[in-house]
Amino acid sequence: MVDFLIKIAVIALYTTIAMLVGILFMGIGRKIVARVHNRVGPPVYQGFIDIAKLLTKKTNISHGWIYDLALLFSLTGIILTILFLPIGGVKLLGTEGDAFLVLYLLAIPALGFALGAGASGNPNAAIGVMRALVMMLSYELPFVITMIALMIYYDTSSIAQIVELQRARWAIMIPPFMLAAAVADMALQGMLMEAPFDIPTAPHEIASGPMAEFGGKHLGSLMLYKAGTIVAYTTLFVDLFLGGGVVMHDGSILSYIVNFAVWFLLILLIFTLSLLINASFPRFRIEQAFKFYWKYEALLAFISLIWVYLMVIS
Amino acid sequence: MKAIEIIGKGEEMHGRAYIPSGREEAGTIIKKLKENGFAHFVMLSCVDWIDKNEFELVYHMWSYEHKEHAMISVRLPRDNPSMFSMHELFPQIETYEREIHEMYGIDFEGNSRLTPFLLEGWHDTPPMRKDFDSKKFAEDVFDSIPEIKEEEDEGI
Amino acid sequence: MRYEEWNKISRIASRKSLWMLHFCTGCGAVELPPVMTSRYDMERFGMGPMATPRQADVLLITGYLTVKTLKRVVNVYEQMQSPKYVISFGSCPINGGMYWDSYNTVKRLDRYLPVDVYVGGCMPRPEGVMNAFLELMKLIDEGKARGWEKYQKYYEQYKRNQKMAFGFERGKNEGD
Repeated sequence: MVDFLIKIAVIALYTTIAMLVGILFMGIGRKIVARVHNRVGPPVYQGFIDIAKLLTKKTNISHGWIYDLALLFSLTGIILTILFLPIGGVKLLGTEGDAFLVLYLLAIPALGFALGAGASGNPNAAIGVMRALVMMLSYELPFVITMIALMIYYDTSSIAQIVELQRARWAIMIPPFMLAAAVADMALQGMLMEAPFDIPTAPHEIASGPMAEFGGKHLGSLMLYKAGTIVAYTTLFVDLFLGGGVVMHDGSILSYIVNFAVWFLLILLIFTLSLLINASFPRFRIEQAFKFYWKYEALLAFISLIWVYLMVIS
Repeated sequence: MKAIEIIGKGEEMHGRAYIPSGREEAGTIIKKLKENGFAHFVMLSCVDWIDKNEFELVYHMWSYEHKEHAMISVRLPRDNPSMFSMHELFPQIETYEREIHEMYGIDFEGNSRLTPFLLEGWHDTPPMRKDFDSKKFAEDVFDSIPEIKEEEDEGI
Repeated sequence: MRYEEWNKISRIASRKSLWMLHFCTGCGAVELPPVMTSRYDMERFGMGPMATPRQADVLLITGYLTVKTLKRVVNVYEQMQSPKYVISFGSCPINGGMYWDSYNTVKRLDRYLPVDVYVGGCMPRPEGVMNAFLELMKLIDEGKARGWEKYQKYYEQYKRNQKMAFGFERGKNEGD
């Protein structure tokens, strides 16, 4: 019973930390983009102010119960995803085969988001949702292929185990996985909906797409969801290719702190890379993005898969 | 001036061909110019000559072959002005006719889209006519709208 | 926590994160790109342009308003979520400006919508816009930017004025 309570407390703590890191990253992201544009940019804690403002709005217009609950659906989905990912080498809910589970869980928040946007009844939101789903379909193919390559190489389908087996050297140091990591990084760009793959939420073309009708507390929850996605996707990348940020293995308090710090720095690095790409590229149209992922990215991912397979059998 | 040669009448005015035309023959003139290189219909404008008690419709056309600007002028009486629609020759004329119908009250026979266009809920004299007193209208309508009366207490 | 204190926190948060919707059907839209981009950079105050009225806190109305656009502005304003603020930009929404005798320009915006901050001039420069934003932040901080509460309180008067401008009261436009 006590173990159970401790586990719940730890899960609550992890979720809170992950969300806080996500919100902080939104501010850092805006700052980085502003610096690239040669602007001063908002303070790094801007994300907290924005969410506080949105959650303290006086009026909140609802478009029916699907609209209200869909946000909870996506928020729950993203929190669940975070809990299945080892953060700093600590696994909370991870079990055997959770790599497949995470692949499915990654779709849930996006579907919840789509559900809410669809319920808002705005035509721009409908277009945006359609594009978001096409985008999801696009980036998942190359990303799944790279994940399969990892699973073949490490002969396991548990993300925690993949992290564990990267103790000696990170996956990204093995030649085929350099290619795979490049592919996965571009897939990450689509997952985070940063340019050049931000057409689903393009503010000028379709009035921010799925978010068109969101305001007040609903938009605040949506920003929490967005903060969660940043942490979830970057952590997934770090877990798969950069050893989850684990550098100390002795299990002491210090090792936890150091591993967390390294994890934080690594996801910050990945996020910064994604933002620098974001700040320097214009948008792809949706069919161009689809073509990019299924033609070039999928091909490169497939090459890395075959390469890994040849390495394993030889 | 090629346009004057094509039509056989008109005069040069500030480097442009100015072709006065009757109400009925305007269609044939525009068609003839279109067939002879004046492929670009620039715009349709309207002038209210209140002293002569008539409207002047001016059809501006441009030829990329002759590099020439032709103006076909049609004079209409001010009371119950009506003109034939030319939207079959150039589809964009429909929109110009809509605007002139709204701003001057000229009827265009054959144009089925003479619906309210730029003005919102307008039921007065068409505002571009010279006998419409814009200042008086603005004073009557917009200055007559009262200010918001606020109560004394500031603690809303 | 008392309601007043909660309000104070809400005000501090909303002051530092004003999201702007710019309604630029008149003139003056060209003054906003310098405000948003690296020349004046309004994002350092946490401000940013927003795509839809639902997400926005500040409605910036530039240039003259015709009867037709006033209808849309009222729609947009009513879609925004409270607390919401209106900045009128240029001299036309103040008293008609150079369109003082126009048949189509509604002269005084504050008779149809509660305006929190005015920026005078024709055209105001981007510095004026920045100054208006800072002024609005100060007013929010002091709890004086209460346009949205005024709109709720005197809703009948505002609606009556809007209908008069749209032509309902002139008795010629009943079916619209």
